[in-house]
Amino acid sequence: MASLSKLAERSNLWPWLLLLPLAGYMAIFFVIPLADVAIMSVTEPKPSLANYEKVLTGALYQKVFLNTFLTAALVTVCCLLVGFPLAYLMSVSTPRVAMLILLLVTMSFWTSFLVRTYAWMVLLGNNGPAIWAMGMLGIENPPRLLFTRFSSTLAMVHMLAPYMIMNIYSVMKKIDPALVRSAESLGARGGSLLRHVYLPLTAPGIANGSVLVFVICLGFYVTPVLLGSPREQMIAGLIGHQIEEFLNFGLGSAMAMILLAVTLAILAVYHRRFGLDKLWG
Amino acid sequence: MTIIHTPTPLLRPSRRRFLKTSGGALAATLAMPHIARAQDNVLYINSWGGPWLDAAKANLFDPFTAETGIRIEVVSPVSFAKLAAQVQTGIYEFDVTTLGGGELLRANEAGIIEALDEPYPGGLFENGVGSHSFATVMAWRTDTVPGTPQSWADFWDVEKFPGGRSLQRYAARVLPLALLAEGVPMDQLYPLDIDRAFASLDRIKDHITVWWTAGAQSTQLLRDGEVDMIGIWHGRYYEAEAAGAPVAMTWNQGQQERAYWVVAKDTPNMDAAKLFVEFATSAKPLAGFTSQADYGPLNAAAMEFVTEEDAARMPTSEVNYPQTFEQDMLNFGGDIAEVTERFEEWVAT
Repeated sequence: MASLSKLAERSNLWPWLLLLPLAGYMAIFFVIPLADVAIMSVTEPKPSLANYEKVLTGALYQKVFLNTFLTAALVTVCCLLVGFPLAYLMSVSTPRVAMLILLLVTMSFWTSFLVRTYAWMVLLGNNGPAIWAMGMLGIENPPRLLFTRFSSTLAMVHMLAPYMIMNIYSVMKKIDPALVRSAESLGARGGSLLRHVYLPLTAPGIANGSVLVFVICLGFYVTPVLLGSPREQMIAGLIGHQIEEFLNFGLGSAMAMILLAVTLAILAVYHRRFGLDKLWG
Repeated sequence: MTIIHTPTPLLRPSRRRFLKTSGGALAATLAMPHIARAQDNVLYINSWGGPWLDAAKANLFDPFTAETGIRIEVVSPVSFAKLAAQVQTGIYEFDVTTLGGGELLRANEAGIIEALDEPYPGGLFENGVGSHSFATVMAWRTDTVPGTPQSWADFWDVEKFPGGRSLQRYAARVLPLALLAEGVPMDQLYPLDIDRAFASLDRIKDHITVWWTAGAQSTQLLRDGEVDMIGIWHGRYYEAEAAGAPVAMTWNQGQQERAYWVVAKDTPNMDAAKLFVEFATSAKPLAGFTSQADYGPLNAAAMEFVTEEDAARMPTSEVNYPQTFEQDMLNFGGDIAEVTERFEEWVAT
């Protein structure tokens, strides 16, 4: 044993050997089931590519895929609009205030998706505070808020914003304040300061956060199903419905594989430009 | 000569230590919880939760355990897909579950349920034992709906009864209602005119606020006033009523359906499962179960043990039954899988 470990050390094998248990775990609980799903997509109900054909050409599936991407893009943009100012606020306030905001953000982040979804159902419901507030403001016939694209998008933005905020904040913290001061001393104000100095410096954080939010939003299941309407359903909800209602494991697997392929493509593009190890800051 | 025992660092374990820890890890993984292995005294039953589970526990599970000594473990939620997956993988999470008419046909065709014997006259249908009937009825909020809707035509009438509506996202249940709203008489519904039903649904589409998918969801929608009118299971309606919400319902044009007990094919606990199914559909336990949960027992012998007061809330009572119609899955009017797919596409656009 002693000679084996000496050999391992010399040939730099130890890191790989240490990874073996994790690799084994991943192989058993991740790689093999995933391979099973891939096989199911081409063998259920009989061996053929019919499932993929149906998904790629059927009107319903095209519509749902398109909607999923558009919603994910919308949610990403909204998270950016909400997250950037908040991250900026955190980076310029005193350490105590920054800590407080960070605490609020992370506590929201740690609350389960399901609990937050139900909270939104209560808030936006017919007898909830949102409608009551609109009544107070004198709005006669308040529009229905729940079970619409608005409610599901709003809730998704709320749930994914922490990813964006924390990514941007970690980058902003590292920006040398001297850079901003020197830009100001050269005459840059507000808009041009933002455009020429701040945005380029925070770009990695923005890219990080956007990719993370977009990819997670693509696979979002609980929130669109509970808060949205079937007209704007997203791909994960459709996969679940196909399997539960129709027992169509093959079709569901095919949709899942396509979703996986698209996600990997996005991550590949990101990796080219930034490097995948940067994704977690 | 003293033997100096040097502690071995973590990253360079001695052979003895390595064998000890890996052996321990192996033993730990093998001690995983059993999943419905053939055990003498446990039966795993799929449960709907809520009032169904309360009534089942009090009238079926506990008495069964008292009589036979077989313990019952409840598994949630009810999942048709899991029933199929179990047979494929050979790993059983539950032995017994309940299915509605439409699913029963599909399950029997797919060969995922066990062949059963008839426990009472007329009780066996497509390898499912008829337990009880439940009805999809129209219910509404008395605080926001003016007047008293009487029929599905009123549900479709958005001028006379404005407000948000909800129906179940389940083609087999909704299409007959659409035809009734068109004015088709109850005894001439089946086989359904599918195209006419979809045309009728188009009229109401924009006014459906939510297409509900889970029983508890429908109760919550009605109880919290998220919608003004809803097509809901009668048991769930009573739940909302019991919670104190200002609601009302009508039995008129209610859609009766039957629930069947089935046993998963090749399950390891087969004998206990069959014993349970026989017990649960025998007169006294069934009477107790259906009285508490407001269902209608399908075993005629059970009616002997049902009080008049409880009978009034059942879909099979003498007063309620004539107002309703029975769902007919054998003479549906189209391939149920195709129709459901068409319905899904319709709902999504």
